[in-house]
Amino acid sequence: MPSVSSPQDLPARPRPGVFSRLGHALRDPVLIEPAIIALGALIVAAAVFSLFLLVLGKSPATFFSLVWMGGFSSWFSIQNALQRAAPLILTGLAFAIPARIGLTLLGAEGALVLGGLTAATIALPLQHWSLPALVILPVMASAAILVGALWMGLAGWLKHARGVNETISSLLLTYIAIAIASFLIEGPFRDPASANKPSTQPLGPDLRIGEMFGSSVHWGLAAGLVLAFVLWFLMARTTFGFAARITGGNLRAAQGQGLAVGRLLLTCCAIAGGCAGLAGFFEVAAIHGQANASLAAGYGFTGILVAFLARQNPLAVVPVAVLFGALDAAGGLVQRRMEMPDATMLVLQGVIFLVLLVSDTCYGRLPFLNYTRSGDRT
Amino acid sequence: MSQSPLPPRALALATRGITKIFGPMRALDDVSVEVPAGSFHALLGENGAGKSTLVKCIMGFYGADEGQVLLDGAPVRIDSPRQAQAQGIGMVYQHFTLVPCLTAAENLVMARAAAPAVINWRQETRGLEEFMDRMPFRVRLDKQVADLSAGEKQKLEILKLLYLDQRFLILDEPTSVMTPSEADEVLTLLRGMAERQEITVLMISHKFREVKAFCDGFTVLRRGRVTGGGDARTASVTEMSRMMIGETELRERAARESRGLPRPRLVLEQVCAEDETGRQVIENLSLTVGAGEVLGIAGVSGNGQAALVEVLAGQRPMSGGRLLADGAPFTPRRADLDRYKVFGLPEEPLRNATVPRMTVAENMAFRSFDKRPLAGRFGILSPARIRAQSRDLIRRYNVRTSSPDALIETLSGGNVQRAVLARELSGNVDVLIVANPCFGLDFASVAEIRAQIMDQRNRGAAVLLISEDLDEILELADRIAVMSEGRLTPAMAVETTSRAEIGRLMGGH
Amino acid sequence: MSQSDLMIVLYAMIGGAIRVSTPFLFVALGECLTEKSGRINLGLEGTLILGAMVGYAVSYNSGSPWLGVLAAGGGGIVMGAAHGWICKLPKVNDIAVGLAFMSLGTGLAFFFGKPYIQPSAPRLQSLPLGGWSQNPQVQQALSVNPLFFVGILLAIALWWGLRNTRAGLTVRMVGDSAASARAMGVNINMVRLLATAAGGFLAGVGGAFLSLSYPGSWSEGLSSGQGLMAVALVIFARWNPLRCVLAALLFGAAGALGPSLQSIGISYGYHFFNAAPYILTLGIMVASARSKSAAKEAPRELSIVK
Repeated sequence: MPSVSSPQDLPARPRPGVFSRLGHALRDPVLIEPAIIALGALIVAAAVFSLFLLVLGKSPATFFSLVWMGGFSSWFSIQNALQRAAPLILTGLAFAIPARIGLTLLGAEGALVLGGLTAATIALPLQHWSLPALVILPVMASAAILVGALWMGLAGWLKHARGVNETISSLLLTYIAIAIASFLIEGPFRDPASANKPSTQPLGPDLRIGEMFGSSVHWGLAAGLVLAFVLWFLMARTTFGFAARITGGNLRAAQGQGLAVGRLLLTCCAIAGGCAGLAGFFEVAAIHGQANASLAAGYGFTGILVAFLARQNPLAVVPVAVLFGALDAAGGLVQRRMEMPDATMLVLQGVIFLVLLVSDTCYGRLPFLNYTRSGDRT
Repeated sequence: MSQSPLPPRALALATRGITKIFGPMRALDDVSVEVPAGSFHALLGENGAGKSTLVKCIMGFYGADEGQVLLDGAPVRIDSPRQAQAQGIGMVYQHFTLVPCLTAAENLVMARAAAPAVINWRQETRGLEEFMDRMPFRVRLDKQVADLSAGEKQKLEILKLLYLDQRFLILDEPTSVMTPSEADEVLTLLRGMAERQEITVLMISHKFREVKAFCDGFTVLRRGRVTGGGDARTASVTEMSRMMIGETELRERAARESRGLPRPRLVLEQVCAEDETGRQVIENLSLTVGAGEVLGIAGVSGNGQAALVEVLAGQRPMSGGRLLADGAPFTPRRADLDRYKVFGLPEEPLRNATVPRMTVAENMAFRSFDKRPLAGRFGILSPARIRAQSRDLIRRYNVRTSSPDALIETLSGGNVQRAVLARELSGNVDVLIVANPCFGLDFASVAEIRAQIMDQRNRGAAVLLISEDLDEILELADRIAVMSEGRLTPAMAVETTSRAEIGRLMGGH
Repeated sequence: MSQSDLMIVLYAMIGGAIRVSTPFLFVALGECLTEKSGRINLGLEGTLILGAMVGYAVSYNSGSPWLGVLAAGGGGIVMGAAHGWICKLPKVNDIAVGLAFMSLGTGLAFFFGKPYIQPSAPRLQSLPLGGWSQNPQVQQALSVNPLFFVGILLAIALWWGLRNTRAGLTVRMVGDSAASARAMGVNINMVRLLATAAGGFLAGVGGAFLSLSYPGSWSEGLSSGQGLMAVALVIFARWNPLRCVLAALLFGAAGALGPSLQSIGISYGYHFFNAAPYILTLGIMVASARSKSAAKEAPRELSIVK
């Protein structure tokens, strides 16, 4: 092969303007391919689910219009959707960040439950000493983050130090976390006043996190938005994120570069656990006011789906989480108006998940994208 | 050797005008080869000359665009390896087709086109023992293939073809995984069988020594065309190599500046390592590489070289021993890599040294992303500077890519290697660890990459070259050590040793 | 704890081990077969739950629990075959597909299972093997469901078949070296699809045991990770069907710990003892990860051991 330098490589090109850069981005398969495939997968999943509904003799049109009503149509339903999106952003991040370093870590549900429980129990003695809420709330949040980080860090440590498959270990840790939480909530930390539904003692009214700007959406959403941006910046624009992406993309190359792979893995797991723990804190401080079985509401698992659909991009996690928040919000409406069980949304989620994974096979094979444009395949 | 009672019914095979076109490339152009019954024929050629394509056309992996295959003079149609097998044509591939978790016996029985649905092992074992008794060499039937040595596996592959009653054997560089003595043993036996008209052999090779010693006829391919052929016993090596390489002269030893006694830069002391199953793959390996020299490590593949490279790249833990750089203890961590200016060119760079789904620019920044000027305060990266740096490297090292933002997996193999070379060699290099740098690359790239390695040596770097290509080592190295079964011989100056001696050492003698 | 309490716990543990281990055994054998072919199916958790629901529903509607068992297996075949088909597509990750089937199987089971939470379906009858004893605890412990014996026979058959039949050796070939199998003209995607479908059948049967024998009713909290633990169990048993039986019994005993202690009135920490199988699984995974002998016996195509 003759060695000639191609004309594009000449230096000193003028900096392109915003519009030409935008146009460039819209033709760049690296950027638009995931968007096209994810949207396509959603449409196909909706079609498959419509078929499911038709077989059952239900109307897909009614279903989707109810989803629209329940999730997007009014300020009330939008607030409802955003409210449910808040923990999903955090648990979505809890899956996406380890995924960037190559780990399939499913422990968000467990970290969320333990984080929530920690926040609820650590507040009680502090409340007792009548410390101000401005002191207690940060302590609660930090403790929840710390416990979550340790819990998911454990799966990362087992992976790094012992080579234990992190997917299975993190799922097992989730079951163990829920068992520990049930044990503590029904045992030592139980509020004797909680008769039917064992719970910890309720937080004082000053420890309940209020809503943002007169809406009914709590501050967890703001925390999620800020964290999504911060983590995007961390992964895309810092040396830490760069090293993590090398590790996730090719472990052997990372080792060959002498990167501290173990430390990177552990840090990513701990960040993930921190996000999930924080979600637990908001569930307790903004929604339930105490820790009980309602903490294990499946946000940790839905977060996996959110992250998959967002292709592990922290910024894309936000809109996807809002979408699933809206589906969740519309669930009750669908259940009542169409007389369908609450598991309907579970089925829909499963269908989306499956179609999404099948769509992975389309990468690099979309007929209308010019893949070779960005390289010379010889 | 026991008298072999196989009936003498070797097959004759010929190809007539075979042409195979892949996209814009003519991989084979009007190729006619004649292999008479009972002959031991060599198919010679450089990497990419079309040897593999030709045998794959014969075996029915590919359909030829033109031309035909004649078996005992009559045209045959072969559309799949199964059909080739049914016609009596069998092939031993470079990569093994044995299943590691099965025993030799299980592998042989399952290779039969019609293995019984329920296998009566007592009966089968008796049959296999009888078959083995008739064969010139044997392999333990009850042993798991995973526990066989590379040479034994190769023998089992050949036995498998004979067991399936295949009388035309195609061997794809069968000796590349064997020690010279194992190779001689197997080739001698095959040649004997061919002489007795029991089988016909077509062997792909690029080792002139073997061709001279064992083959009767040979055909040379270059760029998809037949460039010559004849009687291997009378043709000279110079003639054969001219047919193979064309106008280019055979490579000489690279030009080098000689120096006085070099200062030791990289030292390995009693290094040991194990594989995943706990088997020791490197045993008490010690070596010293001095500044301004190339230490070549030769050896048949699979004797611990891969593990050695992995130890040096931090991909495999040491179970004993230590590494020194400039006389100080060294671990392959980033801080030490930077302090002692240690760089590496691993084999298969796309798999070992790049992230396929990151851009060319990002891949070229692996060594420098955490340092100024690419990283600013608080470890914040500058994508613009990453891109600017790569633009400069792309120009200097002639990496052919449409843009620094292209994913590196879209580049050709030679360009990936050049991109890695640019990343690893653009700064000051004190220690360079190179493993099979020219695997599967075209002629021009090979010359360029070897020149770069020599350039680093001449600028004072200590170069450790681990290669399975003995010619490459003889061309580049100042001193040579041989690796065999995880152990390393003491290093010898190239001038004081010979190919024969190295070959003997590769066999562990 | 008095002597007699200890005996009660012991009997309860033995009986519990047999009862609790049966679904483990079926799922583990299914997973073992699937993994032998080089694929991993985490979706068996979903298959188990779906099997429990289908088995219960069919038993309720037809009046025949054995028909329910078969129907549950049929559901498992559909799930397994779908898994096998999707995983053959390029660039699709089998672990992630397993997660999706876990969620889809659970969703479908809850969706269609709603009407069956209340009604009572005919159960599988157990064999009273403890008739020789006067002790009611012994009688209760040795009241064994025939499926347990079916499972053990299956384990033996699988162990034998993997060594002595063409089909068994083909599965091992595909799981150990896809390239070699392909070179021999084996359709590896088909072999894996069939192995995954057969694994799904067994997992479905295991699910039917949950709803039709022990605990013996359909509810949404019926399976909590047995399908997943079976994956770890197979690694622990090093892909040997006979060792799967022992491992299943061990897991069964761990699972029976909480209920046994409860039977003598120790209910403090009930949830904690319920976590015993998970902790055991995790401990086993830690112990057997990087185990050199396990690495040697693992099917080389398996993504989880690579």
